[in-house]
Amino acid sequence: MSSIWTLHFHASSFPHRTLSREVQFERYLGFACNCKNCSRRSTLRKFIVRAVSSDDDKRLPDEVIINNSVKDTAVKPQQNPVAKFQESVSSLPLLIFKTGKYYGTSFAVGLCVVATMLIIVVKGYAARKSRYNRPGSVADLVRRGQLRSDRRGISTPLKYEDPFNNPMVKVSKSNTTVEMCGKVYRLAPVTLTDEQQSVHQKRRSRAYQWKRPTMFLKEGESVPPDVDPETVRWIPANHPFATTSSDIDEGLAQNNVYQKHGVPFRIQAEHDALQRKLEALQNEQKLNKLVIDPAAAKDFERPLKSHLKSGDQVEQSISNPKLSPNPPKSDRAHNSCEQNNL
Amino acid sequence: MGMISMQPLTNPKTSPLYCHPFSPKKKKPRSLTVHSLLQYNRKPQLSGETPRVVVITSGKGGVGKTTTTANVSLSLARLGFSVVAIDADVGLRNLDLLLGLENRVNYTVFEILNGDCRLDQALVRDKRWSNFELLCISKPRSKLPLGFGAKALTWLVDALKAREEGAPDFVLIDCPAGIDAGFITAISPANEAVLVTTPDITSLRDADRVTGLLECDGIRDIKMIVNRVRTDMIKGEDMMSVLDVQEMLGLPLLGVIPEDTEVIRSTNRGYPLVLNKPPALAGLAFEQAAWRLVEQDSMKAVMVEEEPKKRGFFSFFGG
Repeated sequence: MSSIWTLHFHASSFPHRTLSREVQFERYLGFACNCKNCSRRSTLRKFIVRAVSSDDDKRLPDEVIINNSVKDTAVKPQQNPVAKFQESVSSLPLLIFKTGKYYGTSFAVGLCVVATMLIIVVKGYAARKSRYNRPGSVADLVRRGQLRSDRRGISTPLKYEDPFNNPMVKVSKSNTTVEMCGKVYRLAPVTLTDEQQSVHQKRRSRAYQWKRPTMFLKEGESVPPDVDPETVRWIPANHPFATTSSDIDEGLAQNNVYQKHGVPFRIQAEHDALQRKLEALQNEQKLNKLVIDPAAAKDFERPLKSHLKSGDQVEQSISNPKLSPNPPKSDRAHNSCEQNNL
Repeated sequence: MGMISMQPLTNPKTSPLYCHPFSPKKKKPRSLTVHSLLQYNRKPQLSGETPRVVVITSGKGGVGKTTTTANVSLSLARLGFSVVAIDADVGLRNLDLLLGLENRVNYTVFEILNGDCRLDQALVRDKRWSNFELLCISKPRSKLPLGFGAKALTWLVDALKAREEGAPDFVLIDCPAGIDAGFITAISPANEAVLVTTPDITSLRDADRVTGLLECDGIRDIKMIVNRVRTDMIKGEDMMSVLDVQEMLGLPLLGVIPEDTEVIRSTNRGYPLVLNKPPALAGLAFEQAAWRLVEQDSMKAVMVEEEPKKRGFFSFFGG
């Protein structure tokens, strides 16, 4: 549609300027046509020369039409826009067939146009591609095991290299506006003063009176006389986490927190208890060996109890291959004791 | 939001926006807007006594305490400070999810108290940032005396100060919602507080109450982060502005975090959004808040949305 604008503009301007502008505009649009068909070009060139002649008498009917259309738009603004459009379209071939000058300029303009279109296509493709590769989707929940799904598509964590590179934020030279992600922001100074802050602190100290609770009582218990009532809290019996009774050894808990090396207390205590039990059982076994002949006791042995499964029997035989298939009664009792504890 | 200088670390440009603290050439003009600029081309200088024990609380639930804790603590770790983050929510554990460490939490504070593990065994070290560790309190197996939680947390912080590899620079405590036992436990060892609020009246009222309780308990250094800010709604006067919030609460501003959908995605990934590349808007805001926390500074100016800039032809190419 700019061709129409050009035509109207140059219809009212000097003819010699019309010639140059028409040639330029033709170069902008029709360079491809010029490259393809030279013979056609020559014919059209002649056509143009005649068309842009400054002599009013020798003007072609097309030019007359153009002038008339200009005049018509000036005199009769109510002319049918469809007819005007048809006139402008019919006059387009006049501009496409040029004289053949300014090849370099047309090539540069054409190159710019092609580069522009290429950039547009590449940008659109990149935007479409990034849309499909957006991280932070439900696939990450699947990867972390929070959702059960057969979907794949685990994305790798992003690497952040330079925390100081923020190309999104642009501060203006006058230092009053900031452009960020297509929006413009104005800097508004903070107006809170120290006096205002102290006023708020005084207000809050009057409004909120609170003391840290130090005593926790069950419902129905009485408050001791020497305790500040504001430091007392009543705990309901059905509280999910809290209780008033102190079954925990606080000193022991504190020592556990401050422990830096070695085995943790409870693990060590369990280990020691097991160790003592083993020693006790071994001592008992020694005593039993002095009294009971294992070989003779075989005749009086009962089959293994039902709570021991067949797998356990296999494990026992595997773990003690050197022993007889029927270990002594004390050992079997010891094994069953260990398995029960586990 | 505070302003960020555009100059990269390796190529500082000489412009009025760049103010190196040691360059005598350019005089810093004495105007409020220049002071609001964040000098990002240097490491922040740690001020205050270490370890700095900071509790992040709000009163109202769902305003972004855990998100703030995760992002600020990782920002601090990335700035080179050693950080221990404690999830002090006894019943509900969320901080490990946001950090993507949920599969690595084997021991909690209650295992330490019971003697099932040591403190260093319960600390979960992040493989991405080795100077960041997480400690969860989690749900106890049996009921505990209420006052015991506060003592336990105080012992924990003391034990962290006395550990062999040295005390951490920061201990950030993620406080549970409300003002009951969990809140009392979480604020016990803290020296300073970060109050997270959103620009709505319900959150502000709870935040005011919590601020009063903190001041009653002896915590005077309280700064505010206004979260989930919609500048478009503020512009249309459908939401209170950040300055209105400050006028109501009377607290210095540590940060203003814009509403960002990237928060949800980062939760799904288990990757805090301060680590995104390119950085998200909310991530930048969290970084700035962490910076101010290190230097014990507060915001001097906030951003107010204006009319959009008219785009020229060449801006289409990404200028």
